[in-house]
Amino acid sequence: MATTTATLTLSSDMLSSPISISASSTLMKAGITEGLELIEMGRGTITENDDSKTAEFGLGTALGVDKAAKLFLVNKATDPTFYIDVDIHDTNIGRLYAGDWMFIPWGINDEASEIVIEAEPVGATCPYEFALFQEPQTLVAHS
Amino acid sequence: MATTAAISITSDITDSVPFSVNASMTMYQAGTTLDLEETTGLAQRTFSGNTTQVVLLDVSALSQITAGGAVAHKVYIRNTGTDKTKGFKVFLADAADDVEEIGTLFGQDWLLMPWLASAAAEDIMVQPSSEEKMTIEYAVFHQ
Repeated sequence: MATTTATLTLSSDMLSSPISISASSTLMKAGITEGLELIEMGRGTITENDDSKTAEFGLGTALGVDKAAKLFLVNKATDPTFYIDVDIHDTNIGRLYAGDWMFIPWGINDEASEIVIEAEPVGATCPYEFALFQEPQTLVAHS
Repeated sequence: MATTAAISITSDITDSVPFSVNASMTMYQAGTTLDLEETTGLAQRTFSGNTTQVVLLDVSALSQITAGGAVAHKVYIRNTGTDKTKGFKVFLADAADDVEEIGTLFGQDWLLMPWLASAAAEDIMVQPSSEEKMTIEYAVFHQ
């Protein structure tokens, strides 16, 4: 069985009693203890483009309802004012500023589950990297 | 008052090509290199006896969160259970209260993601998959 492990180490000294979080998970298929078997990773660059959505992950071959997938995405820009707006379908999740990363479960249920990213503000160029871990997809039929 | 988060992902899905991801970030206020200065602290919530969708993070209740404009809030959520057959679906609402499913956190799974939280309706909801006792821990780091 393939083993994929995601570990988080988070610390914050905002409070008088500092927050320290260590979390680790072995990434499994939905509802069972078999490891995810498919990985996609890549790098790209997006440029602000008059408020239009300038890039969209073409990864969203729907897995079907209630499958397990995990997405890692990082904004590799170095200018702290440059950010990537991240949407799921037409709902804005939030902004990844330069150096920020996110790691989420991604329910690729259908085509309306797509992750859309956009560089902002005007003049921004944001290199990004991603890694997607998911269950096997059904291969297309021979044409 | 620094808050830092590091992720490490290792996988042997491709046993002929070693794979790992390592990234870290310091959580800054939007567009700056000033540290985030506020947090909800680490909280925990236990569910039992229902599988309905409930609001976990209510924007209007978190009045200290800077609403609108440029924000770089981060949300951490973890399913503290160890059962990989049970999970919490995580949902995000937009300003018009349209709800999108992000994905499912099975036992031990965690997420760290940005959160726009710019309008009262942009809550984060969770839905346990089982009526049995299930627990989630979470924190918001915000401006």
